[in-house]
Amino acid sequence: MDVDYPPSAQEFRSRVKAFLGEHLPADWTGMGGLPEDEREAFRVQWRRTLGEHSMLAVSWPEQYGGAGLSLVEQVVLAEEFALAGAPQGSENDSFGIGMLGNTLIHLGTEEQKAHYLPKILSGEQRWCQGYSEPEAGSDLAGIRTSAVLDGDEWVINGQKTWTSAGHLADHIFLLARTDADAPKHRGITFLLVPMEQPGVEVRPIRNLAGYSLFNEVFFTDARTARSEVVGEVNDGWRVAMALLGFERGVTATTDAIRFRAELDRLFALARERGLTSDARVRDRLAWCHSRVEVMRFRGLQALTRSLAGQRPGPESAISKIIWSEYAQAYTELAMEILGPEALVPSGQRTGGLLQMPEAGTENSPLSWVETFLAARAGTIYAGSSQIQRNIIGEVLLGLPKEPRLDAGPFRELAASRSSQARG
Amino acid sequence: MFFAYDADQEEFRASLRRFLSDRAPLEAVRRATATDRGYDVELWRQMSTQLGLPGLHLPEEHGGSGTGLIEPSIVLEETGRALTSSPYAAGLLASLAVLRFGSTQSQADLLPGIASGELVATLATAEVGSPAGVGGLETTATSRGDSVTLTGTKVLVEHGHTADVLVVSATGADAGPTGARLYVVSGDAPGLSRTRSQALDLTRPVAQVMLDATPAVALGEPGDLSPLVDLGCALLSAEMVGGTAACLDMAVAYAKDRYQFNRPIGSFQAVKHRCADMLVALDGARAAAQYAVFAADRGSPELATVAPLAKAEASEAYTSAAGSTVQVLGGIGFTWEHDAHLYFRRAWADAALLGGPAAQRARVADALGL
Ligand SMILES: Cc1cc2nc3c(=O)[nH]c(=O)nc-3n(C[C@H](O)[C@H](O)[C@H](O)COP(=O)(O)OP(=O)(O)OC[C@H]3O[C@@H](n4cnc5c(N)ncnc54)[C@H](O)[C@@H]3O)c2cc1C
Repeated sequence: MDVDYPPSAQEFRSRVKAFLGEHLPADWTGMGGLPEDEREAFRVQWRRTLGEHSMLAVSWPEQYGGAGLSLVEQVVLAEEFALAGAPQGSENDSFGIGMLGNTLIHLGTEEQKAHYLPKILSGEQRWCQGYSEPEAGSDLAGIRTSAVLDGDEWVINGQKTWTSAGHLADHIFLLARTDADAPKHRGITFLLVPMEQPGVEVRPIRNLAGYSLFNEVFFTDARTARSEVVGEVNDGWRVAMALLGFERGVTATTDAIRFRAELDRLFALARERGLTSDARVRDRLAWCHSRVEVMRFRGLQALTRSLAGQRPGPESAISKIIWSEYAQAYTELAMEILGPEALVPSGQRTGGLLQMPEAGTENSPLSWVETFLAARAGTIYAGSSQIQRNIIGEVLLGLPKEPRLDAGPFRELAASRSSQARG
Repeated sequence: MFFAYDADQEEFRASLRRFLSDRAPLEAVRRATATDRGYDVELWRQMSTQLGLPGLHLPEEHGGSGTGLIEPSIVLEETGRALTSSPYAAGLLASLAVLRFGSTQSQADLLPGIASGELVATLATAEVGSPAGVGGLETTATSRGDSVTLTGTKVLVEHGHTADVLVVSATGADAGPTGARLYVVSGDAPGLSRTRSQALDLTRPVAQVMLDATPAVALGEPGDLSPLVDLGCALLSAEMVGGTAACLDMAVAYAKDRYQFNRPIGSFQAVKHRCADMLVALDGARAAAQYAVFAADRGSPELATVAPLAKAEASEAYTSAAGSTVQVLGGIGFTWEHDAHLYFRRAWADAALLGGPAAQRARVADALGL
């Protein structure tokens, strides 16, 4: 069935296809098709090409170096890039462009926009996200990292953790506690902090799949200028939440495209091993196909709503559960198909991407084992499956909240938590 | 239009929901299904004459309103939500068979009556060994000169004990390469005996229909009947989505009201997350059913994979939601008095009609060339 995109969007689609045809290498199958030692150079050069053609921050207004594209054009662009297996930017771009840039455009001052947006786009600054801490994960408002004014500077002390791409970044946006006497959600400030200074130390953490993609970041009297606050002092929670809401609508239809490419790989794997006639494998493959189709249909619904002017809201909790749990299910099926081959897996590796391998990756046992291992992350980051189910229950279904034990000034909560921990 | 119901369709849904909750609440459904006929004739008259439901999708030349299939899917979703007992779905599927396979003559003979609601028609295809009723049939057509008779046994014939006209699938010398062809049998034909079954699903009357050299008329030429199964799967998915939503509403309302340990039980995560899972499954099933119906409406070839997958998704969403609802309700959910079991029964019955989730996924795998 043809779902009718507006004619203008289809015209834009041809332009994107033409761009990709012109600028991707002739024998392009995806990043996974390049030898590993050539990928980094390609990435850098590709990002430059995207920048030159205003294809990096396509949703931003043109005055900030964006392409000022409408929502449907952004979607079309994301779809065509996904279909071609072409990267849309670097690891740090999802933080710099997708999260921080959009937040600044909506909530930043003119000076902040003029200063940061061009540097984010040019690649001069590479950003990471400092939200989580050892004591504050799902309960993000429990952060303890403190920021205290000293003349014209904030002095920052504390620790962030699970900071993705922190080892590649030179700037971090973070949440710090600026008023410990206020209730926990009220005394938080959103700060922009340079990392190349003596008070900031980054230590890599190796993940379950064996790759070092996230980090601990320690702050010891680290400094940033007083003006580096987004939104108001002590109103950082609102900024933090706004940031999490950006870019939700745009990926609605691309998840299905990427999972479709993965499913084609899985079908091929099952065929190569002669298992498509096995009743159980066949049933599970058809189930996977159904789930990916459901993602496609839901994506079309979400896009239709966005085009009608509705902002994506809490229903994205449903999408998060669907894709992250599916990611575990289809990779578990791959393990079943591989059987003993998965135990000493051979062939090309994935390069340690978190969601799925780069397009063009060889259909190797090792790529499947790594994808299977990496799939455990999706139900934890960006709001765990349990947190999503709380959101669905409380926000979408209106079920009563659990009784809370965390009212009152943060200082007292933190103190009672410490004494429990000691006791 | 992109991929959403339009404002008129949403308005139609809302007014139908109001009508059914005023006119046919669940007490009334119970009363109606307990009668021999199994439905409320006066309600059916209102659905037909006042709301014009049975003719919605039929061409105007046959007394219909020519809407396409989206409006009927909305009717099914709402009657599925309300568990309305009426010959609507039976007539819809029979009329789709007549539209697709029937000659001009048989269309002119049957469709105006179906559109007005005066002629109750049903599809008699399923057999004990053939849930979808289009392959592996035992019911056989025998022709002698110009006349045809059918012999065999059909099961799960919706409103089969009262229908005026039955569209019956049968095999035989004239069945063509697919081995199955459709015939029209009158409800008062000789050699026809029909008995209402003691069914798992209490709110949808079904019958066993035995044909013993029963006179029949071929419905057009032989042809592949599987598109009819696909249409049935797409439409049944919409009905199941309505039922799933009703279960979720019921469970959530109770979880807000019922207190234990000085808290509403819905504040316990074990309950809350179960409700959340119902919504996740419902949301996916709804998207799939809607897409399948849109594909059917546009006559898209995608229907062959989309309809069975929608049926499988909706079946699993509905059966698990109905089970979860009984669980969330506790003891009261296990009573005859409470309506939860009506949905639980319907869920499992619908899931099996035209083939269960595993059978549907096998069709998906076939269609994908796996
Ligand atoms: C691969 C990866 C990349 C990440 N990248 C970043 C990053 O770049 N920047 C950043 O700031 N953070 C990042 N994170 C951190 C991520 O946001 C947190 O891991 C997440 O919020 C969960 O917090 P936690 O790990 O402390 O687990 P906890 O919150 O301690 O949760 C532990 C378990 O308890 C459950 N749980 C917690 N609260 C509840 C509740 N109320 N109800 C029911 N169950 C509950 C959780 O679901 C989980 O199963 C990343 C995490 C991962 C895995």
